[in-house]
Amino acid sequence: MSLQVTGLCRRVGERTLFEDLSFTVQAGETLAIQAPSGAGKTCLLRLLAWLDEGQGGEIRLEGRLPHEWTVPLWRTEVAYVAQKAPDLPGCPDDLVQATHRFAAWRTRQHQDPRVHAARWGLPDGAWTTNWSRLSGGEQQRAALAIALSRDPRVLLLDEPTSALDDEATAAIEADLADRTVVWVTHDKAQARRVGTRSLQLHQTSSVAGAS
Amino acid sequence: MNAGPIPLSALDLVLAAGLVVINGLLSLWLGLGLERKLFVASVRTVVQLLLLGWILMPVFTWNNQAVVFGICLAMVILATRAAVKRSSRSYRGAYRSSFVALLLGAGATALIGTWGIVGVEPWWQPRYLIPLLGMILGNGLTGISLGLDRCLTQLDEGRARVDVYLALGASRWEAARPVAADAMRSGMIPILNAMTVVGLVTIPGMMTGQILGGTDPAEAARYQILIMFLIASATAMGTALSVLLSLRALFDDDHRLRSERIEHSPS
Repeated sequence: MSLQVTGLCRRVGERTLFEDLSFTVQAGETLAIQAPSGAGKTCLLRLLAWLDEGQGGEIRLEGRLPHEWTVPLWRTEVAYVAQKAPDLPGCPDDLVQATHRFAAWRTRQHQDPRVHAARWGLPDGAWTTNWSRLSGGEQQRAALAIALSRDPRVLLLDEPTSALDDEATAAIEADLADRTVVWVTHDKAQARRVGTRSLQLHQTSSVAGAS
Repeated sequence: MNAGPIPLSALDLVLAAGLVVINGLLSLWLGLGLERKLFVASVRTVVQLLLLGWILMPVFTWNNQAVVFGICLAMVILATRAAVKRSSRSYRGAYRSSFVALLLGAGATALIGTWGIVGVEPWWQPRYLIPLLGMILGNGLTGISLGLDRCLTQLDEGRARVDVYLALGASRWEAARPVAADAMRSGMIPILNAMTVVGLVTIPGMMTGQILGGTDPAEAARYQILIMFLIASATAMGTALSVLLSLRALFDDDHRLRSERIEHSPS
């Protein structure tokens, strides 16, 4: 089981964020991505989740392209969690209920996201509190727990612990240790802790430096 | 008795225009800066309505099918332009989808009205079809423009929200459902409000016209009820269609929201 990226290219207007980017993430590996702001880390994750259109290249999960999975199914397997939860209506529980109505979710097992989040110190009451009244850290943990609850093959995480204290961060890092993750972080120490391999994105063209 | 309304002479219209001069004086006195707009609007009212009267007169007497359809098509095109122009945002293809929505929504209800309900013979008789279609379009375009505006605003400003659903594995329709529901609601609300207060606060234009024209008020009321229901169904159909077509245009086949296709119209 692996996520395989070949020759990926992303341009926004005149700017090339990265081109000819290739890497593979094997099952159980965590690829830590470090880059200066504006180098296109978020764009890379969005591209992997098939939320944006790239300008060339190929992404395969277990040898199959997104179309071959069907795109909604691809996104349930390659789960992207944005850095900041947007101003969603209602509370985290409403989002959980909404996901249960998605066709791509009906066919698969899913766990209760509360179980994960509880280990990370998210109080149970947060699930029924409006998103707008949750703190940034509570939003992050709820969103991550929802993504994790359907057991995706690959997690795409954009600064998932940026608003969390050390204790919650350590709990999340421990929980995700055995998972297949593409983990964007600006924190060098975290990249060393979680990354089994690392990728440096530079301004404009970039090289996949595996270590 | 029932010989139609007292005819209005040109002098009567000049007197009526005198009333608008009061608006102009108020605007000058309070510095509202509306004189120019007021003047243009007044001239347009006179020219457009006189022109309409002149065009309709021969159309009613000729009773020619091709001419009637030509006028109806022109009405739909004008309504489409107005609907798209009123929205604060647009996209390539907005005209086409609004046109389809208005043509099918208003066309179907006008047909049901003349042929199915009133039983006009032939169903396209201009004396019935043109005013009915006009009423339906005039109100339907409000629904469509409000629905379109709401839909595009939501997709533009609420892109992150839609992306959360998509990222969780929603198909484009599943992700767009809240947006569609919201847009349809805002398109439908004006006509629902109008239906609630009609006859209490307002005597609708068509009923007023019929009463002035010498029709029995009870008969005029029945026609007005018919019109309200036709407008309501045309608005619902038109708004739903235009929202669905817009969503179809703004999501691609890979279930991605293409919000870069949304253009801000200069208002």
